[in-house]
Amino acid sequence: MSDLRWQDVTVRYGRHVVVDRVDLTVPEGRIVGLVGESGSGKSTLARAAVGLAPVHGGTITLGGAPVPTSGRRRPLQMVFQDPYASLDPRMTVGDSVAEAMPPGRSRQQRRAEVERLLELVHVDPARARTRPGGLSGGQRQRVAIARALAARPRVVIADEITSALDVSIQGVVLNLLRELRRDLGLSILFISHNLAVVRYVASHVAVMRAGRIVEQGPTERVLGHPNHDYTRTLLAAVPGRRSQP
Amino acid sequence: MERRWLRVLRTPLGAGAAALCGLVLVLAVVAPLVWGAAAEAVDTADILAGPSSEHWAGTDNLGRDILARVLVATRLSIGLALAATAIAVLVGLLLGSAPYLLGRRAGRLMTAIVNAAVAFPGLLLALFFAVVFGLGARGAVLAIGLAGAPSFARLTHALVANLAARDFVAAARIAGVGRLRVLFRHILPNVAEPLAVNATIGAGTVLLSFAGLSFLGLGVQSPDYDWGRLLYEGVSALYVNPMAALAPGAAVLLAGLAFNLLGESVAKGLGSPTLRGGPPPAPSADGDSRRAPAGEDARDDVEAADPDVVLDVRDLEVTVPGPRGAIRPVRGVSFTVRRGEAVGVVGESGSGKSLTALAVTRLVADSGHVEATRLRLLGDDLRGADTPRRRRLLGTSLAMVFQDPMTSLNPTRRIGGQLAEVASHHLGMPRREAMSRAEDRLGAVGIPDVGRRARQYPHEFSGGMRQRAMIGMGLMGSPRLIVADEPTTALDVTVQQQVLDLLATIRGDDAVGLVLISHDVTVVGEVCDRVLVMYAGRIVEDLPTSELATGARHPYTRALVAAVPDMETDIDEPLATIPGRPVDPAELPAGCAYAARCPLADARCRAEDPPLVADPGGRRVACWHAGEPLPGGTAEHPADELVETP
Ligand code: SF4
Repeated sequence: MSDLRWQDVTVRYGRHVVVDRVDLTVPEGRIVGLVGESGSGKSTLARAAVGLAPVHGGTITLGGAPVPTSGRRRPLQMVFQDPYASLDPRMTVGDSVAEAMPPGRSRQQRRAEVERLLELVHVDPARARTRPGGLSGGQRQRVAIARALAARPRVVIADEITSALDVSIQGVVLNLLRELRRDLGLSILFISHNLAVVRYVASHVAVMRAGRIVEQGPTERVLGHPNHDYTRTLLAAVPGRRSQP
Repeated sequence: MERRWLRVLRTPLGAGAAALCGLVLVLAVVAPLVWGAAAEAVDTADILAGPSSEHWAGTDNLGRDILARVLVATRLSIGLALAATAIAVLVGLLLGSAPYLLGRRAGRLMTAIVNAAVAFPGLLLALFFAVVFGLGARGAVLAIGLAGAPSFARLTHALVANLAARDFVAAARIAGVGRLRVLFRHILPNVAEPLAVNATIGAGTVLLSFAGLSFLGLGVQSPDYDWGRLLYEGVSALYVNPMAALAPGAAVLLAGLAFNLLGESVAKGLGSPTLRGGPPPAPSADGDSRRAPAGEDARDDVEAADPDVVLDVRDLEVTVPGPRGAIRPVRGVSFTVRRGEAVGVVGESGSGKSLTALAVTRLVADSGHVEATRLRLLGDDLRGADTPRRRRLLGTSLAMVFQDPMTSLNPTRRIGGQLAEVASHHLGMPRREAMSRAEDRLGAVGIPDVGRRARQYPHEFSGGMRQRAMIGMGLMGSPRLIVADEPTTALDVTVQQQVLDLLATIRGDDAVGLVLISHDVTVVGEVCDRVLVMYAGRIVEDLPTSELATGARHPYTRALVAAVPDMETDIDEPLATIPGRPVDPAELPAGCAYAARCPLADARCRAEDPPLVADPGGRRVACWHAGEPLPGGTAEHPADELVETP
């Protein structure tokens, strides 16, 4: 069992409660979608799990034990939204990926592993020696995914990773995530404001609003027969759902 | 990166400053060897002499040649200045990056101390240290170095804090890389460049302070001499021989200026926030074969006189300067917008869709060049020079909505006042009246509690409200055309919906023409009657939105529609993807620009660019194989890596 679980988690900044007693589980080998508008606390919830936001109450566990946020073994990894900010512009792609690997390997092993990972995300391994400046947004995002995988995570959090990409490239990244889940059994928390995208990749979905999760369940049920008014509002706002004017 | 430094040297100012700096540094090395003896030669027969052919700047009280001494003093002056700068940078680097390592509380204390030190006058600090470390060059170096450290500490701190918040640093931390390692591997290398620039500027300033300190007698002590010391000696003989003071003074000024200017021009050259590599080289073939074929639009002249046509664009071309010759990101775009019609323009980044909008509204930056055989708003020609009449026409009949409303709202002025200004400026409306119209318009775009809101500043508005306020601003005149460039991309879905609804309402009620530019086919599909699909600066298909899902004939349009998941997409199949990436406007192929990604491409496609042809129904498409069935769906990924190279 390696479920990623938030139990009764609260995050505050000053007196402002950003995440309010949230319970959420990402079951092993599943993709869970987390939707909500900006300011709903969905990114903060994710950042709390990797130690980038302070937790004021509750616990976050991975496979029953607290998520390690120090030391070299990090079974929980995160991929960020902006492909232009998520890679060090002065480091080669290969070095960025290799850096995330757990220690205790020879240089050759590392290089081989970098190549394997880049191939896995469909980036030409020959690009390991280039800097991110020479890559497109979609390629950068895939390198960022390879770096996350290099740490041998059990769970990956993907925070709006396609919203800065052109539509033609978004599909490539979405297909890749589904492939990684299918082939590696990777669990993923997929954060997005785009319901159609979440519907496509996630088997479960949680809807967040003002720091609370207002509804969660299997994607088909939540999006097909929403219980909460807010979910219905979100659904009604998806473009292309209404008839032509 | 190195290439950008070289680019700085190619500007006249940068080259001049660099040459001057080089000269000063060379002098510092060779002057004592060449003029050392002359500078020491005592000639008691000829003391305190004025300028002569033998001693250009005269002699000092021991009859030594002043010019030689000024030249020789370059080494000590520059050496001390560089040493002091190095101390300032190093100590600053230590103090500035320490808060990152120390954790929150100790870090905050450190920052407070540094901030207090920065506020303390630098020269006073230097004087204080000079007293502490004693008179002489060593004390002065330490004093000036330490006095300069706080400002470098603050700069470093700001740069480090900025970088520490970046995603790649977060990613390294999450991967388990320790703070110290992150500092050395990710943060400091990225801090180096701005720090070096500031150190260069700083060196110039340090040079001046050093001269000041020596001049006050607190710096270099005789028998050593630097420029400040020479200045001090020269001033005492000012009435006998002004050159004795002017020569070292000029040296300080020139060297200081050289460093300052070099730093400034490098800062300016690197200032362009391009962390990506430059665009690939452009082939020279930016030929004339690309001009859109004439007569591509069958409806041509029928509509020319049509009073219902709000916007009429024919053969629009935008040319911008590129690193290797001009680039044409918009190549022969023609379309019309009628009263009450909503036309969507879709395309990926770099397709030229936004530039098309900017060209129509005459907002293309000065470096860009707009050409068209016709460009008319309400029958008025928009080409040619800017006139007050045209400005009024654009100001009142055209409303422009951008993705980021903050770029067009002045953050320091109240919303209501900004809107009112449009009316009083373009329509000559009295203030009171303009204000009440502003409130009326804000109400019309759905801003609640208008009386209070109108008196607020833009930052007090949420993103959606700002977007509404901007639309309201466009409605201050009586626009006949609204051009909206990605108006909802930065907004949440529910807010996006409200803004789209608002645009649809305005268009319906007032029979206003709407041009909606978006990368999202679904958004365009929701609001518009007609869609123009742009690829590589051309319209490749023009069709009714109702036909988007099933009736598109261009392979690109079809791929674009299939690539975006909607609420009905089959989740058991992989998403269709478009292999490769958009072509660079600087590297257009000879034939169809889409050929490299198109499953139907053949030899003809690669050789000849297909013209945009209209059918009797008014739909247009530019493809040699329009409407032909695509071979068995799009491949999932193998082709993907093939062409996706920037
Ligand atoms: S002209 Fe040829 S390459 Fe271009 S879109 Fe049509 S079929 Fe594809």
